[in-house]
Amino acid sequence: MSENKAKLSRRNFLLTVGASSAAGAAAVVASAVPRAQPVVVAGDKRRSKGYEATAHVRNYYRTAKV
Amino acid sequence: MARMKFLCDAERCIECNGCVTACKQENEVPWGVNRRRVVTLNDGVPGEKSISVACMHCSDAPCMAVCPVDCFYRTEEGVVLHDKDVCIGCGYCFYACPFGAPQFPQAGAFGMRGKMDKCTFCAGGPEADNSKEEFAKYGSNRLSQGKLPACVEMCSTKALLGGDGDVVADIFRDRALKRGKGAEVWGWSTAYGKPDKQQAPKGAKS
Repeated sequence: MSENKAKLSRRNFLLTVGASSAAGAAAVVASAVPRAQPVVVAGDKRRSKGYEATAHVRNYYRTAKV
Repeated sequence: MARMKFLCDAERCIECNGCVTACKQENEVPWGVNRRRVVTLNDGVPGEKSISVACMHCSDAPCMAVCPVDCFYRTEEGVVLHDKDVCIGCGYCFYACPFGAPQFPQAGAFGMRGKMDKCTFCAGGPEADNSKEEFAKYGSNRLSQGKLPACVEMCSTKALLGGDGDVVADIFRDRALKRGKGAEVWGWSTAYGKPDKQQAPKGAKS
């Protein structure tokens, strides 16, 4: 009888440990999701004003046609 | 959306290296790095041709494909740029590029490669437009200033064309139609003699 009780308490202990570690892992994943945001920011950082057919550029095209 | 392209007209290039100098000056390119070079084919032989070569900003860039850290990216105008903060200097892009565009600084100690450097089509890099950091790492960002690359604007004979690919193609097509090719080119007989009398008689002194 006492042996059975000891087995039960051990199972309870193991179950508690398992549940708490799973909860911990979920918390880590949840906290990692916002950390992925800087990747999107890096994409924006790479955005530049870029090419525009300004008067300067059109003048160059004109001279290149000579 | 315009697509940025370079095109060198070999019939017009006079191997003056003005484009090379303009690039060096504009971007303060470090010693040992040449973002642009002039390559001469059949040097010294009548009819030699020179072509100005730099990064061609390929549509399907091999450097992009082989980079193990994925430091390359393409802008909306099709300019292939890279992030020096991500580059590990492995040199794979150097071996993959058919134009020899990726360059590595030569001034480092013990043969250390350092970060890769290449032509940016004068479009800077991932830093803020025309910031100090951008200039230090990638050179001038003329595109965002409404200008074209310094090499292109410097070319005295307009051999090196650059800018919107459609416009550049139209300019080159017009030239090719007007002048023809080979011996049909204007000034060919003055420069090289008539096509059938190109070779000087034996024993003639130049």
